[in-house]
Amino acid sequence: METADAVVIGGGVIGTSVAYRLAKERKVILLERKEIGGQTSGNCDKAIILQSKKPGFPIKLAKASRRIYDQLEEELETSIEYNKNGGMILIEKEEHLNFMKKFVDRQNKAGLRVKLIDAKEAKAFQPYLSDNLVGATYSTEDAEVNPLLLTQAFSRAARRSGVDIRLYTEVVGIDCQNGRVVGVKTDRGYISTELVINAAGPFAGEIAEMVGVPLTIIPRRGVILISEKVPPMIHGNILCSQYIAAKHQSEEYGKAPPFGIGLSLGQTDSGNLLIGGSREFTGYNKEINPELLASIASHAIRMVPSLGNVQIIRSMIGFRPFTGNGLPIIDEVPGVQGFVIAAGHEGDGIALAPITGILVASLVAGESNYKDLLEPLKLKTE
Amino acid sequence: MQNTIVCRCEEVKLGEIISSIESGATTLRAIKVVTRAGMGICQGRTCRPLIEDCLSKTIKQDSNDVQQLNFGNPIRPIRLSELANTRKG
Repeated sequence: METADAVVIGGGVIGTSVAYRLAKERKVILLERKEIGGQTSGNCDKAIILQSKKPGFPIKLAKASRRIYDQLEEELETSIEYNKNGGMILIEKEEHLNFMKKFVDRQNKAGLRVKLIDAKEAKAFQPYLSDNLVGATYSTEDAEVNPLLLTQAFSRAARRSGVDIRLYTEVVGIDCQNGRVVGVKTDRGYISTELVINAAGPFAGEIAEMVGVPLTIIPRRGVILISEKVPPMIHGNILCSQYIAAKHQSEEYGKAPPFGIGLSLGQTDSGNLLIGGSREFTGYNKEINPELLASIASHAIRMVPSLGNVQIIRSMIGFRPFTGNGLPIIDEVPGVQGFVIAAGHEGDGIALAPITGILVASLVAGESNYKDLLEPLKLKTE
Repeated sequence: MQNTIVCRCEEVKLGEIISSIESGATTLRAIKVVTRAGMGICQGRTCRPLIEDCLSKTIKQDSNDVQQLNFGNPIRPIRLSELANTRKG
């Protein structure tokens, strides 16, 4: 019978990051039912944006992950198009100015350097912005990465470290005896193991059900448009205050817009613009209302009028694993020894992938060095 | 032969496609991400069948068994301003 020290379920950015870290000490098999980075991690924007996170612990976690990024290209021995180009949140309406001012104050108190700038300063930095903005926030701590390259880089590094990556292999059951994991059943055979990492992102709930654990991770759909290659026109990340309102869904940040539309804009090293986006709860439905694409387009043009001339060649539909509290779950499930969840990162999976791998490795080794970061990510059992 | 351009939009040569397959990109999606073949303005309208053929010949798999790539909206390039005007009313 086949055996492994650990089985990682899910070949997205989280699963590959986790498998890479675990492979240092263990024989690891990674199971992916489709392709590496083919779902959520391949249909997202490129921002490692800290200033969109809630002030407090989410900022602390994102900063810890951002620090790992600084050495990641060297460690993974490849380019992931990591750039420390800063990020900006555009403020379009006077009525958003107040909550953005408060947001910036709290970000600075949480240890993140963010400043409020006027429309003129913003335009000096991003010349293509509309003349009708009220202002913007700017942080040099925001960065960006190519998510396709990132997931490939983690998966190749994992493979180099000995991880056995199996594509088109679906988990159909998890075998438990006396409250502990003993094996994983797949459509291509049985693997005996005492450690399973559920890194199935929006599908983590289906996997957890196999050990009888209810998880409240639901898919939140996001749509992003991709342009043809154009000469450099966007420097770093651009979001808008409506994006913050849509992301945090709290009256505190203004009313959530229809389709959860908010600008997220970046440009890859190849020159393609990624123009987002939306946030909706529509299950796994991939059908797109034409009104939705039109809304993303008109919102983006309002903020950056020159975008009107670029050709759109593709759209991406991603299902983000939403937990409800803005934080992922990284924990061993109480009562099911050896069953670890590392999922629920919603739209922060790219930003948090590096720290997630390290946290899971620390958790399963029983170390206490990351207790402060793991404590708030525990699975809440009513 | 190795220098034959397979993906014209991204100028990807046959040799690059084959070497990506040999270094472990054994699916169409993996080849696309590694080489950028099919990521250009025509979204693989020309090169898809060629790459499928390369893959099935190199890994000796029937081309009917090769996992297909998804097509994404829009089906043809469209200016963002035109897309914005497709709203009803």
